[in-house]
Amino acid sequence: MRGIQEQLKEFQALGVRPVAISVDPPEVSANLRRKAGYNFTFLSDPNLDVIRRYDLLHAAAGPDGHDISRPAEFLVDRSGVVRWANFTEDIRVRPRAQEMLAVARNIR
Amino acid sequence: MNTATIPATQRLTNSALWYGLLITLLGMATQFLYFLRPSPPISHLLPWINLSVPGIGLFLLVIGLARAFRQPAVYRGKIWGSVLTVIALLLLVGNVFLFRQTRSVPGSAGAPQVGQRFSEFTLPDSTAQPTSLSQLFAASADGSQPKAVLLVFYRGYW
Repeated sequence: MRGIQEQLKEFQALGVRPVAISVDPPEVSANLRRKAGYNFTFLSDPNLDVIRRYDLLHAAAGPDGHDISRPAEFLVDRSGVVRWANFTEDIRVRPRAQEMLAVARNIR
Repeated sequence: MNTATIPATQRLTNSALWYGLLITLLGMATQFLYFLRPSPPISHLLPWINLSVPGIGLFLLVIGLARAFRQPAVYRGKIWGSVLTVIALLLLVGNVFLFRQTRSVPGSAGAPQVGQRFSEFTLPDSTAQPTSLSQLFAASADGSQPKAVLLVFYRGYW
């Protein structure tokens, strides 16, 4: 996410809007945005409705054993079609902003 | 010649123990490579490097230890070799645990794949304002309309 923030201007120049989604309630996301200086949209799914619907649930993986979202990234075009998706096998391995920018360049 | 009479200072340095220690420490250091935010394919190899390097270190330590115990008159390192091997073993156990822990991400067979449609959803943003996927494509204040949305699902800030 830090990588996305660092490249936010590049994403916007390509017409890509980054949006972060987690189980964190809005006030926690607001706090994170303020502290970390993120100025892209954060959405909250505390009831895991969307996370569950898209099979992104990582059960009992939260700090006190609560359900959270697994890391996953989707580049969705205006017609709602997924143009690129990434599902890491290791929580320490995430796609780089450069990789996502390269895909975004091919979307018209 | 009675080898047992060779003074300790004249026995051979047990180099396998030193290299084993060095490689184990190197294995620990590979955990910090994540801070460099490596790109693929290195990023995908990194967990395996984290696991295998301390394994090689431990292997060398065991070789060194075997030498120290089988030929105590020739090689040094019975005591400190044992201590180092136990430490290396503990480090390797820690690395295996970390490896398993960070790779316990479940599969997402039911997730939308490339070419499939991401169905509409509505979730509150950080100001508790309900926001739908289609609203994310709405034109911003400067009139530009995004051609794509990058949805980043993450584990949470806690």
